[in-house]
Amino acid sequence: MQAWYLNENPYPFVPPHALEAADSVRGSLPNKYCDPKRAADLFEEALDEYLLCDDIGINVVSNEHHAGINCLFGASPLILGVLARQTKKVRVLSLGTLITVRRDPVRVAEEYAMADVMTRGRLEIGFVKSGGSEMASGNANPIGIVERFWEAIDLILKTLSHREGPFSWEGKYFTHRHVNIWPGPWQQPHPPLWAATGDPTTSAELGRRGIVNVMVFRSIEETQRAWGAYRQARAQAGLPPPGPDRFGHTAFVYTGDTDEEGIRVGSKLLWFLNTGLRSAPQYGKFLPGAIKPDAAPGLYRTKPRPGTPAVARPAAALIGLTAEQAIVKGLMFAGNPDTVYRQIREHQEKVGAYEHLVLAGRSGFMTHEEATRGLKLFAKDVLPRLQAL
Amino acid sequence: MRAAERLRLHGVDLEILRRGSGPPLVILHGFAPLDPQAPVLDLLAAHAEVIAPTHPGFGHSPRPDDFDTVYDLVRLYLEALERLPFEKVTLMGLSFGGWLAAEMAVSCPHRLEKLILVDAVGIKVSDRETPDILDVFNTAPTEVRRRSWHDPGRWAPDYDAMEDDALVGHARDRDALCLYAWDPYLHNPQLKRWLARIAVPSLVLWGASDGIVKPDYGRAYSALIPGARFELIGSRPPSRDRTVRRLRGASRGILAAVRSILAEEQPCRPGT
Repeated sequence: MQAWYLNENPYPFVPPHALEAADSVRGSLPNKYCDPKRAADLFEEALDEYLLCDDIGINVVSNEHHAGINCLFGASPLILGVLARQTKKVRVLSLGTLITVRRDPVRVAEEYAMADVMTRGRLEIGFVKSGGSEMASGNANPIGIVERFWEAIDLILKTLSHREGPFSWEGKYFTHRHVNIWPGPWQQPHPPLWAATGDPTTSAELGRRGIVNVMVFRSIEETQRAWGAYRQARAQAGLPPPGPDRFGHTAFVYTGDTDEEGIRVGSKLLWFLNTGLRSAPQYGKFLPGAIKPDAAPGLYRTKPRPGTPAVARPAAALIGLTAEQAIVKGLMFAGNPDTVYRQIREHQEKVGAYEHLVLAGRSGFMTHEEATRGLKLFAKDVLPRLQAL
Repeated sequence: MRAAERLRLHGVDLEILRRGSGPPLVILHGFAPLDPQAPVLDLLAAHAEVIAPTHPGFGHSPRPDDFDTVYDLVRLYLEALERLPFEKVTLMGLSFGGWLAAEMAVSCPHRLEKLILVDAVGIKVSDRETPDILDVFNTAPTEVRRRSWHDPGRWAPDYDAMEDDALVGHARDRDALCLYAWDPYLHNPQLKRWLARIAVPSLVLWGASDGIVKPDYGRAYSALIPGARFELIGSRPPSRDRTVRRLRGASRGILAAVRSILAEEQPCRPGT
C-alpha cells in the first residue's frame, strides 16, 4: 500500500456570527473574514507537513478549491511548484487542477510537464470535475461539464505525449491551433493518471482507460458501485482485470496513542463535513446539470410524494456525521495504531483491495502539532504493516 | 385548443403551439415555454394567429446534442420564418426569447411586420461592473423567486403542487437556459451595435416590477431601436377598453399594448 497525505488547508477562523449569517461557506463568503497573516501561517504549516511526509515515506497530494473556507489552496499548480522543489523523495499527486474551469488545457499540460521535470519524474496527475460553487467562482458553465472534462483530458494527454512539433486542436470546447510545449514530461509518454469520481459512468470510462479511480469521502456502497462499474467496463472491453493499484480511497485518518486520543483528535477532521461543506442550494442541488431532469420531482418538492424518493447530492449525506458514523461508513479511520490498521483492513475487505490510501489528516481546528503527531504514528506503526501484506 | 405541432427543420423537431386566427404573431418564450393554459395566450389568439414554438431543450422538447448555442436558435427560427406560409409575421419575444427576437430582427428584418420585445435580455447596457441582468444561476433561489414575479405568493410555481412532468420540464428549462446563456450571461456583446438595423415598427414593453431586468434597461434597449416605442406595464391607469379592463395586471398591459401595435396601419418610419 502507498499512503498519500492531503491537507486541504482550510481556514476555520471565521467569526461564528459570520458563518451563521452566511448561506454558504463556499463561493460567496467575503474574504474580509480571512486574515492573510493567519493564512500565511497555515500555508507554512501545511507545507511543513508535506516536507515531514517526504521524510517519513508518505506521498503528498496538492489540490485546489476556490473562494471558500474549505481550502486556501486556490491554485494547485503553485503548491505543486513548491512541492516539486522542496520534496526530494516521495511522489507528488496533483488532485488536481480544475480542468473543467481552466480555459486552456494546453497551459495545464505545460504546468504538469514542468512539475514532472522538476521532480525528476515523481509527478502523478489527477483529474477532478470540480464542485458546484467552483462553476460560479470559475465562471464555468455547469452544463456540458462531463464532455468538457474528457476533452480537456484528451488534449492534456496529447500535449504531454506529442514529441514532434506543433499540432492543432479544434474540438468542441477547446481550440488551440499551435500546441508545442517545452519541456515535455520526464515520464514518457506521460505521468501516471488518476481521477476522483464516485460516479459509476465516469468510473467505467476510467476503467476503459486504465486511470486510477480514487474515491473522495465516498461510502462503502458508493465505492462498490463505482469500482464495480470500473471492473465491468474493462471486462466488457476485453481488457485484463484491474489490479489494486488502479484504486484509491480518501478518508479522514488520525492515529493516536490510544483509541480515545485517536477519536478525540480525529473528530476535529469532521469540521470539513460539518462546516466546510455547507453550500448554498444554487451551488449544489439547484445547480443546472447537478441532477438528471428526470430526478427533478424528488429534488424540487419539499414534501416528497410516495413513490418519488427525495433526491440529494452525495455531499448532503455527509453533513452532521459523528466520528463513529464516519468510521462505520469507511469515511474515517481513527484510533490507536492497531485500530486504524484493523479499520483499514476491514474496509478493504468490504470494497476490495486498493493500493492507495489518501489520508485527509488535517482539517478544521486540528493543530499542526496534532496533525504532525498523527502522521508520524501512522508512518511508524500502521503503514509498515499495511505495506507488509 | 390544438395540441402542439411539430415542424422538422434541419434535424430539429420544433414543437409549436398554434392558436387563434388573424395576422400571424410568432411568440418566442423566455425562461420557460408558454403555458398552454396561460390566459394571455387566448387573449392574444382573439386578435392574431399565435405561433409559439418551444426552444429545443426547454420543457419536453428534444434538442440534438450539437445544437447548443443562441446562434443555433436564431438560425432555426429564421428558417422557421421561411417555412411559415406568411410573407411577414409580427415577432414577439419575451425575456430570453426577446434576445432571440432582437437577433432575428437585425438579421432578417424583411420577414418581419412588427417587433415586440417584452422584458427582453440580449444586450449589455451598464458599465462593466454593474450587471444588468440578475444572475439567476448564482443567486439564492428565494431571491430569484422574489424578483421574478410581481406577486410571488400568487404567481410563482409551487413545486409541491406541481406534477412530475411539470417539474421535469422545469429542470430542463433551467439546464437549457444555462447551456445557451451562461457566458456571456444572457447577452451578446455585439448585438447592441446592430439594433440600428431594425427597420420595422417596434414596441418595447416592460413590467414595472421586473426584478430580473429593470425598466431602465428596457428604455435603453428601446432607444437603440430606430423609432421604437417604450411602454411600461403595471404603472399606468386602467384602460378604458372594457375587455382589457377585466384582465389582471400583466395580461391586461400586454394585451392592450400588443393590440395597439397590431392595429397600427402606418408603420413607424425608422428615426421618427
